[in-house]
Amino acid sequence: MSTGRSSASPVPAPRSPRAAVSAAVDAAVRAAADVGALLRFRLAVARGRGRLAAPLGVAVLGSLTLLAAVVPGLAAQTYGGVTREDVLAVLPSAYLAVLVVATVSVVASGGGRELLPAHQAVAYPVSPATDHLGALLLAPLNIAWLLQCWTVLAATSFAVGPGPAEAAAAVLALAWVGAATASAQALGWAVEWVRRGPHGLVLIRSGTVLVAVAGVALVATGRLTGLLASSPTVRLAAGMQDAAAGRWSPWLRLLAAVLLLGAAAVLLGAGLAHRVARRPARDELRVETADRAARPHPASDLVALMRVDRAGIWRSVPMRRGMVMLAILPGAVAVAGAFGWDRMGIFPGLVASGGALLFGVNSWCLDGRGALWRDSLPVDPLLAFTSRALVLLEILAAAALATLLLASLRAGLPTFDELAAVACALVVVTLQVVATALGWSVRSPHAVDLRSARATPAPPLVMVGYSARLAFGTTVTGLLFDVTSQAPWTWSVLLSVPFLAWSGLRLRRTAAAWRDPSTRARVVLTVAA
Amino acid sequence: MTSPAHDAGATGPSDTRDDRDVRGDRGPGDHRDDRPSGDVVDVVGLRVTFGSVDAVSGVDLQVAPGAAVALLGRNGAGKSTTMRVLGGVIPPTGGRVRVAGLDLRTQALEVKQVTGYCPDVGGLVPRATPWEHLQLSARLRRLPDGWEGRARALLERFDLAGAAHRVTAGFSHGMGRRLSVVLAALHDPTVLLLDEPFDGVDPQGVEATLTVVAEARAGGAAVVVSTHLRELAVQACPDAVVLRAGAPVARLSAADLGGKDGADVYRALLG
Repeated sequence: MSTGRSSASPVPAPRSPRAAVSAAVDAAVRAAADVGALLRFRLAVARGRGRLAAPLGVAVLGSLTLLAAVVPGLAAQTYGGVTREDVLAVLPSAYLAVLVVATVSVVASGGGRELLPAHQAVAYPVSPATDHLGALLLAPLNIAWLLQCWTVLAATSFAVGPGPAEAAAAVLALAWVGAATASAQALGWAVEWVRRGPHGLVLIRSGTVLVAVAGVALVATGRLTGLLASSPTVRLAAGMQDAAAGRWSPWLRLLAAVLLLGAAAVLLGAGLAHRVARRPARDELRVETADRAARPHPASDLVALMRVDRAGIWRSVPMRRGMVMLAILPGAVAVAGAFGWDRMGIFPGLVASGGALLFGVNSWCLDGRGALWRDSLPVDPLLAFTSRALVLLEILAAAALATLLLASLRAGLPTFDELAAVACALVVVTLQVVATALGWSVRSPHAVDLRSARATPAPPLVMVGYSARLAFGTTVTGLLFDVTSQAPWTWSVLLSVPFLAWSGLRLRRTAAAWRDPSTRARVVLTVAA
Repeated sequence: MTSPAHDAGATGPSDTRDDRDVRGDRGPGDHRDDRPSGDVVDVVGLRVTFGSVDAVSGVDLQVAPGAAVALLGRNGAGKSTTMRVLGGVIPPTGGRVRVAGLDLRTQALEVKQVTGYCPDVGGLVPRATPWEHLQLSARLRRLPDGWEGRARALLERFDLAGAAHRVTAGFSHGMGRRLSVVLAALHDPTVLLLDEPFDGVDPQGVEATLTVVAEARAGGAAVVVSTHLRELAVQACPDAVVLRAGAPVARLSAADLGGKDGADVYRALLG
């Protein structure tokens, strides 16, 4: 989002440490003030339900966070066969997962979300430091981050139990979540800086392969558990025990260390954001300026439409990267976690939901300003709708299939019943996501420029709502198919029928709405604005 | 500047039309024989409402075959909304709109077949190349083999041949405008609708656009050009309609709008 005309940089090189500190403080204060101004601007331009959604959404998320931090601690010592000690043992891994989830989110989005989209911010002197603070502020508006945060808070609360120690543990856990998020943001900027540099793509791709190979090696040699046991986050778990035992001095020292880490990460991130802002996004520029070989003329109207729709996805660096990560990461998790076929049903839904969040929830924005021209072409709107639906369907199904193939590497051969359940889950949830996403696309279009990896197809808070609803719906559906995987295959097929019928009906309704010229005009004018 | 009318006879799709007639193919512009003899664009009492806002209220517009009319007016006068209605993108809230004898409300697809629309904003799919835009248009408009020659000629004329296979996301504003005119003109439409075609375009692009307008008129097409630029409107169109707050306030000839006197008249009409 940074426009390069920084309000915080470039500052003339200070001559003394005191002047340097003073300049840094000035820049930080200015950046914080700018974030406030941008946030107010963003809220001011919200219309209709959007005005209500922002405070309501923040209140709901805050309440859920509070509940996650308090309620589990009130449970009995042993809950569902799980003791407080059991949970305490996995806390270090859970804390580490916060860092991993936050890092993946920032790296995948090329530096985190933008408080104001780049094409809107271009008229204002938004500094990289402001951009950095904005990205940090928006980091929680990510369902994966939120779920991990709530999981950590809930696990901490349960492990410590009720009493004053619970509040102390929650404070430490929240401090860690903040520090991990800031560290991830700094790491994300560093990766983006390397990616935009000479040979950046090669370096990042090689690095990704190395990390993946190392992960596979750790899993294959059985060393992953040992490594997790020696993670620095073990000290956090020890801090929770200190709090539970009333040893406040080591708890306080640990809290101070975590806060210091967070503050250092924020400052480091701001510096790296400045460096990133000075490098053009090479990959995106390469894609935008490269020649594409002309292809034979399309054989049918549908092929012609699908060709342009597919180009909108595969020629977009962020979307291509997002789809590849979505296809690989859940599969890697399944491999690392040694998931069996009886628990595989949830993966297609997770991948399809994530894929839809890249663009599918606002599908017509793929045309951008070309939507006006496309709608002036003599083609049945239903055919244009079918093309968009098919392209969305094929890309989500392909990513989900890739995940399942990866996951199957460690899961062994499935029984026919398990295979049927997973196949049905794949078809059902993919169609479910397509129907939902296209419904939102027609009902609530947004004008967005998806050229930047940091752009989202809808405002960040709306995206939280979308992702929560998609994740919930597809996870429940996937769990149902996990159940039927233990039954004869006919159960899975029978279970699919009502789901498919419902999704088909929703698609039909959305297609009918799209055929209405007034509805279509509203969508087209919005996305082309 | 070269006379657009003179250029119209020297270049363009007519070069190969005879050959296609022999083969029995239907080429770009071949529907000209079927063109209605009355007003090709016939708008009466057009009204477009967005919520509680009347974007257009009571626009009347008639354009005969071979004629060109400029829509002039300030920002928000209703020019682009009128063009979007004619392009089939926005349904009219009220009034009667007939294009090439077809009712826009009931025959929207047929209307789109005979119109060529250059939208005011962008008008290009960001990650498709110009050639892919042209392929899509040719396919959906059922243009027969041979359209590629016309397409290449247009791309050459608008200095876009070298960028024909680059995604349009990397285009400058002017390049995008020029390509939008190419896309509108590809199939030799019965009605050519150019919304702000000169906006940010270099002199060569302006000249090429004026040539396209002249050629379309010479071929019997009706042309509607929406622009803020009075001087270019006068060059492109012999007639102009001035809109204010969504309604027409005057219909003038190019002579009335030309020169310093015309500028004063125009300024007065804008209010």
